[in-house]
Amino acid sequence: MAEVVLTDIQKSYGTVVAVKDFSLEIKDHEFVVLVGPSGCGKSTTLRMIAGLEDITGGTIAIGDRVVNHLQPKDRDIAMVFQNYALYQHMSVRDNLAFGLRNRRVPETEIEAAIAHAARILSIEPLLARRPRQLSGGQQQRVALGRCIVRNPKVFLFDEPLSNLDAQLRAQMRLELKELRLRVPTTSIFVTHDQVEAMTLGDRIVVMKDGLVQQVGTPLELFRKPANRFVASFIGSPAMNFIDLRVAVDGDRIELTREGVALALPARRFPDLGRLAGGKAWVGIRPQHLKLGRPSGNDQIGLKGTLMVTEQLGHEQIVVVRVGRQDIRVAGIDPDLSLATGSEIEACAAIDNLHVFDAQADGASIGVGAPLAEGSIRTELPDRLPP
Amino acid sequence: MSAVAPAQAGSHGFFAMLAPGGRRALFILAAIAVCLLFAFPIFWLVLTSLRPGSGVYYVHRGTEFTIENFHEVLSQPVVLKALWNSFAISTLATIMSLGVTVTSGYMLSRFKGPIPNTWFSLIYVFRCVPYVSWVLPLYFVTLKLGIFDTYWGLLLPHVAVHICFFSWIMKGFFDGIDPSMEYAAMIDGCSRWGAFVRVALPSAIPGLTALAILCWLYTWNEFLFALILTSHETPILTVVMAQFVHELGMEWHLMSATAVLALGPALIVTLFGQKYVIRGLKV
Repeated sequence: MAEVVLTDIQKSYGTVVAVKDFSLEIKDHEFVVLVGPSGCGKSTTLRMIAGLEDITGGTIAIGDRVVNHLQPKDRDIAMVFQNYALYQHMSVRDNLAFGLRNRRVPETEIEAAIAHAARILSIEPLLARRPRQLSGGQQQRVALGRCIVRNPKVFLFDEPLSNLDAQLRAQMRLELKELRLRVPTTSIFVTHDQVEAMTLGDRIVVMKDGLVQQVGTPLELFRKPANRFVASFIGSPAMNFIDLRVAVDGDRIELTREGVALALPARRFPDLGRLAGGKAWVGIRPQHLKLGRPSGNDQIGLKGTLMVTEQLGHEQIVVVRVGRQDIRVAGIDPDLSLATGSEIEACAAIDNLHVFDAQADGASIGVGAPLAEGSIRTELPDRLPP
Repeated sequence: MSAVAPAQAGSHGFFAMLAPGGRRALFILAAIAVCLLFAFPIFWLVLTSLRPGSGVYYVHRGTEFTIENFHEVLSQPVVLKALWNSFAISTLATIMSLGVTVTSGYMLSRFKGPIPNTWFSLIYVFRCVPYVSWVLPLYFVTLKLGIFDTYWGLLLPHVAVHICFFSWIMKGFFDGIDPSMEYAAMIDGCSRWGAFVRVALPSAIPGLTALAILCWLYTWNEFLFALILTSHETPILTVVMAQFVHELGMEWHLMSATAVLALGPALIVTLFGQKYVIRGLKV
């Protein structure tokens, strides 16, 4: 049971800055996901918390102890690695017992801890086997078991599902969710997969180039991304962005570009007016676009040519070329017959539009519909009976 | 390229024409041919060692066989002493070399910074120097240190050569072992050294065994260092063997008998370790 407090964490390799000014407070039992593309510093941050990398600046506190200079073994943490990192020369039982034996825990207690973890993870029949005799999913369960038996203050996960195939990954994701209810422990999970981040995290930290882009609950990130990067990273299929010039006309803001003309009420986007004469990106999620004409003042319309259709069985996704820019429209009836090359119109509610400042690195200017208070779950889940 | 392609296509066509049984027969024949090629000199050596001195030039025609040659060489104290010395020096050199090579290879594989870089460069430079050119300076060094014609006088140069050659191989073995296992061990309660000893080292055992065997055989068969750096006090088998060629002629029968004696331990070590060598070199 522990909080993790990271204050202004820095990591540099010579002149290269890997992580810059990373600050985060993780509550007891909270499950935080660090997500971002390769090289964004998320794994480095996790390894600094584990003590596997020295930190260049800042402080890391686990519980009420600053652990900056403590060895990994003294931080009371457990870690699951991408490639499982099981001790190949030991049986599964010895793998599970290794950490406890190092801490001179009596054998009877070790046996009880192994039996408990093996029951939770359904790995009892595997205890006598060697790691290389196990499948990827079984190895990952053993790696989880190695963490559980230790009963540490913090679980660290370094892309633990990346080596599994898509089906197994989805299954392990569910098992992880169930596991965290059975064994509630403060957890930090690193992934580059936004679906894992959205489904597992109480809170998500989006990182890019060593900098935190946004911290929030999955819904906050989805509904109110802080900048274009977060907007493009969270959500699948990714958000559409249309590059437009901004002009103010009384209480209307006109956004135009070759083949595109949008008029938005200024009161819905009060900060957009200051970009007059400049450029903005309008973001629309593919799920929020519908085929057809706009049906009122609270909708915008985009006309274009149908370029490609993707049939997914439960829906179709189409690519429409609007002016010179391609946008995706999702959630289309799979039985609808659409001819590529035909002229088509899509519409979206102004509520669902996101506007980003093209000059200020894509910072968010506003969202059509502000988040309603209390619409986002922030409380931690209840504990399941073991 | 264009000249190679039709030739490849032709050979492929030839094998494709053969029935599967024919292909297997051809493969077995080729394997037997290769085995004979390597086994024949050993067969001839054993045959020569069993012939009397007068019959060594007519090995293929003679009918007279004897084990007198073995009696004769084994009755010479210098041969017995050389057998023991070669065995002891090979074993000690292997133990000492592995002790250094394992840690050196591990450092080269896992750590970065000025110390590993300097060590790497040093080894590289020594590897670039031809082996033969070390011998004469080493002779003077051993004389100066007063270890000429002693175990240390031969052990230290051997260990030095092994460190240069085998640190690279050991680095390769450790490169093939996932470092996250050691990180997991460090989180599980081990120190950095503990993670090396308890996790990395046991995982490298196939590689280590392969290296130990190669190291032992290399020292056992080595001739040049033994010839220059030892004399009457510390006779070495490879040198003693060569001394059957002298101004009065060449005693092939005795030399062969000694060579067969030398073959024994090497054969045992190889048979014992061949699966480790193959597994280790595959890492």
